[in-house]
Amino acid sequence: MKCGLCLEVRDIDETTINIDPIQVGGRLTADAMKAVIAYGDGYSVCDNCRKPNRLDMIKSPPIDAFHRDLAAFVNMDEARVVPGARRGFQAVAGTYVEKGDPVLLTALSHYTEFLSVEAYGGVPLEIQKSPENIITADAAGEKIDSVQREFGRPPKLLYIDHFDYQFGNEHEVKGIIKVAKQNDIPVLYNGAYTVGIMPVDGHDLGADFVVGSAHKSMASPAPSGVLAVTKERAGEVFRTTTAQADLTKRTFGIKEVEMMGCTLMGVTLVGMMASFPHVRERVKHWDRHLSNGRMIVDALLAVDGTAVQSEYPRTHTLTRIDTTGSFDTVARTHKKRGFFLASALKEKGIAGTIPGATKVWKFNTYGMTDSQARYTAKAFQDIALLNGLPVSH
Amino acid sequence: MSKRAVDSVFQAMFLLTDLRVILRDTAPVHDLDEGQQATVARTLAELEEQVRVIRKEMVG
Repeated sequence: MKCGLCLEVRDIDETTINIDPIQVGGRLTADAMKAVIAYGDGYSVCDNCRKPNRLDMIKSPPIDAFHRDLAAFVNMDEARVVPGARRGFQAVAGTYVEKGDPVLLTALSHYTEFLSVEAYGGVPLEIQKSPENIITADAAGEKIDSVQREFGRPPKLLYIDHFDYQFGNEHEVKGIIKVAKQNDIPVLYNGAYTVGIMPVDGHDLGADFVVGSAHKSMASPAPSGVLAVTKERAGEVFRTTTAQADLTKRTFGIKEVEMMGCTLMGVTLVGMMASFPHVRERVKHWDRHLSNGRMIVDALLAVDGTAVQSEYPRTHTLTRIDTTGSFDTVARTHKKRGFFLASALKEKGIAGTIPGATKVWKFNTYGMTDSQARYTAKAFQDIALLNGLPVSH
Repeated sequence: MSKRAVDSVFQAMFLLTDLRVILRDTAPVHDLDEGQQATVARTLAELEEQVRVIRKEMVG
């Protein structure tokens, strides 16, 4: 079946259990799907945009109230919607980073964090990870000292991911922010894998900036996200234009420079808004999702030769697993080679793994019903048994 | 064209969306429990009513 002439209908989530590491938290709620139907046209939220003509001030639909709700949701003072977490990083870097400025990232930072620093001529420097793939407060302190010695000044900014995209490991966010504060370094908390799936309290953490990815973790269409800040930082990151055109003498009202005026002007924003009441509720049930994830990880670990590369027991539903000693041994002689695993999963109605991967791979169990979690756990073990791999019970 | 027809078209799409979400929640085997079956039956009845309105308003 096609949508129009050239697009196949995408029905992966209707026909399978999707365990793609980056997709599960962004699946739309029913209300978001309905909003997408009604607001799919271009500038659809601008019907009632009135002076001073800024997205976050539109009252119908209630976008102004939504912005206040978003800030409260992560316990920060002000928030703006942005086209993905990466644009939140960019807005913060654009405000503070100048050519040659050292900026601290980590050995597990996402590439978009590097690009945001590079875009403004900053020097991205990594905090080392521990052998267990954890970013510690001690390591952050050591790197700050090292930067101070090398550059003669502290880093201009520090970005810390609460959970990283490679292992789904939890890092010492609060301790790292405390160390940064002792050195007067503003901190950007990257909540791409937290905001929208588990509770986040920016003030309690001590963050200056909280960035979330709505299409990754807030059941919203892409690209969408949130940048929330403290009131002390709001005037800097959300500064308004002072430009005046030389010939026409035009000025541009109270448009915000880092937001390039307005950001999400249609379907992405209403998707966020429609899902938001559900998202606000679902973060209270993170434990259930984590419990399902742990059950599936344990089912995989029961297959002899399987190891988990992420921290264990798991504190996130995103997990990096090593099946070199289990499923990969099957791949060596199977007629489908490394593709046997994805193929077997597909036959059982499970999608989202990388075809051909049988050594180290990632999956995310967020959003499954309990029944789907049990089904997935059993499917992994059934595939193992079918291919002669011992499973402990 | 009547506002009634417009409302019914949207309402019908929203009801179908509710069915879509049940398909997601029950994938891949779509083995619906009694509660889900009752929800589907109720949704289909509402959908049929919307289709009836659309037919009346747009076809006559």
